[in-house]
Amino acid sequence: MKEILLLSGKGGTGKTSLTASFVSLAESCLVADYDVDATNLPILLRPSPVSEHEYSSGKKAVIDQEKCTHCGLCEMVCRFEAITDEQVDNLACEGCAYCSRICPVEAIDTLPQPSGRWFEGKIHPDRTFFYAELRPGEENSGKLVAEVKNAARLSCQQQNIPLLIADGPPGIGCPVNSALVGVDLVVLVGEPSISGLRDLQRIHQLLKMREIKSILVINKYDLQSDWAGAMEKWAQQTQVDYAGKIPYDPLFIKAAREGKTPADYPDLRALIAPIWQRILEKAIGATGDGCLSF
Amino acid sequence: MSLTISVASGKGGTGKTLVATALTRILADQCPLIIDTDVEEPNAALFLPVSNLQVEPVHRLLPVIDDDMCTYCGICAEVCEFGALTVLPQQVLVFPELCHSCGACAGLCPERAISEENSLIGQVETGSINGMGQLVAGRLNIGESLSPPVIKAAKKKQAGADLTIIDCPPGTTCPMIEAVRDSDYCLLVTEPTPFGKHDLALALEACKLLGVEAGIIINRWQGEDNGIIDLAERFGTPILGYIPFSFELAKAYAQGQDPLKAMPELGGVLERVFRQIKESRS
Repeated sequence: MKEILLLSGKGGTGKTSLTASFVSLAESCLVADYDVDATNLPILLRPSPVSEHEYSSGKKAVIDQEKCTHCGLCEMVCRFEAITDEQVDNLACEGCAYCSRICPVEAIDTLPQPSGRWFEGKIHPDRTFFYAELRPGEENSGKLVAEVKNAARLSCQQQNIPLLIADGPPGIGCPVNSALVGVDLVVLVGEPSISGLRDLQRIHQLLKMREIKSILVINKYDLQSDWAGAMEKWAQQTQVDYAGKIPYDPLFIKAAREGKTPADYPDLRALIAPIWQRILEKAIGATGDGCLSF
Repeated sequence: MSLTISVASGKGGTGKTLVATALTRILADQCPLIIDTDVEEPNAALFLPVSNLQVEPVHRLLPVIDDDMCTYCGICAEVCEFGALTVLPQQVLVFPELCHSCGACAGLCPERAISEENSLIGQVETGSINGMGQLVAGRLNIGESLSPPVIKAAKKKQAGADLTIIDCPPGTTCPMIEAVRDSDYCLLVTEPTPFGKHDLALALEACKLLGVEAGIIINRWQGEDNGIIDLAERFGTPILGYIPFSFELAKAYAQGQDPLKAMPELGGVLERVFRQIKESRS
């Protein structure tokens, strides 16, 4: 089984629209959305739910005011400034339970909090799609990403599906590090701008550290063709394979409004199909020169 | 009276940094402080003329086991809620990527065999923006997972500023919460697409949880709201302004140029947004 993950560092470069397009072009695949903070792939793929699972990212401290002797020890040991005058700030509490363990009168309990849900769904034509929703204000999104990933990979094995296509979160931190576990190929979705290139360079450095292969797609290249050129040059210099470029097209937004993927429109399909082919070849490693060379 | 405005969005790429840096430019006479808390991808400094950049390291604490004192009793692993320690018969393994630096293992070790040492996870950069105030930016080191400590370190530089603009990370979980917390006002930048609407709803929810008053600015406006106006009404949140879609603006911004020159009306839009925020505070 091969896992392909779309990342960009910078948000809003078109990861979700491209993920949906690749899903539409792939012959057989399973799909996952690891952007549990802002789960947008279901907007395009419109899954019908199969099962729903509660998720708890961790515990929160609860103080029994009747037992509390106001000694202040809990407030003193808390590194997260989550306790003030024996009141717990749930948004600051990370659930480490240090307070509960050190309280001399056992007035503090830590209770698991529901912090989100993950789902198995079906999309056309009879494909399995795993996604999740983390509640606003929650933490440990990396842990929920891991749950979605484990469920998706297990389902791939059980159904004997050769390919998992996943939409990734922005950034380079906790959820991205979790999303990268076991990935065979990262599709870097670059936006031609000074910040798009900077962020791509940061995510690429992370991939190098973790020895994960990547291939570049430049999206909206005609918005700033100079920076698109700079991005191509950077890819050449750093030996990142290049799968191709896509112009800015209002159809991407129209597709989202209609619950379609950009590849559902013939012109865009013709444009994205060869890019997908290059990505697939790179992922399978079937041909050595399947990617555009400079 | 000091004022702190955080610029957040939920969805990435809606134009947070554009709005935060353009606001800094139009408010130059008030000598604002802009804090870039998008520490995974700090980009605000790319769009402002920053000079005299000073860099300070940001550390966090990680447990270090003294093998001479450790009896391998296993209590540290038992009290760690994050699974960051594993005790073997003759060895304790620490997994830094899981550690939250809560200090429970060190504080509760019966042999006092655990100390905590600083581990570098990022940096805070401070500079002056030529004639426009100050910039502070947090930067998470590549390979690190925990951005909130770097966000906290960047925000600590705020002390004493009259007007602070915080450029926030995307999402609505711990990094965004850390960035928006304690703001007087949260300006949410959205785009009129189904993605923008979906993530704006989460961001509005997050502001409600934090008890921070919010207002909305719609970027890339082309006359169709895609349900955003309804959503704003449902939350009782005002729409403070619209930035029209413009290839010229996108092109200038992509190159790091002054967006107010590429779109002269942007200044007026943001001045009206700022006036409404001020009025809501008085």
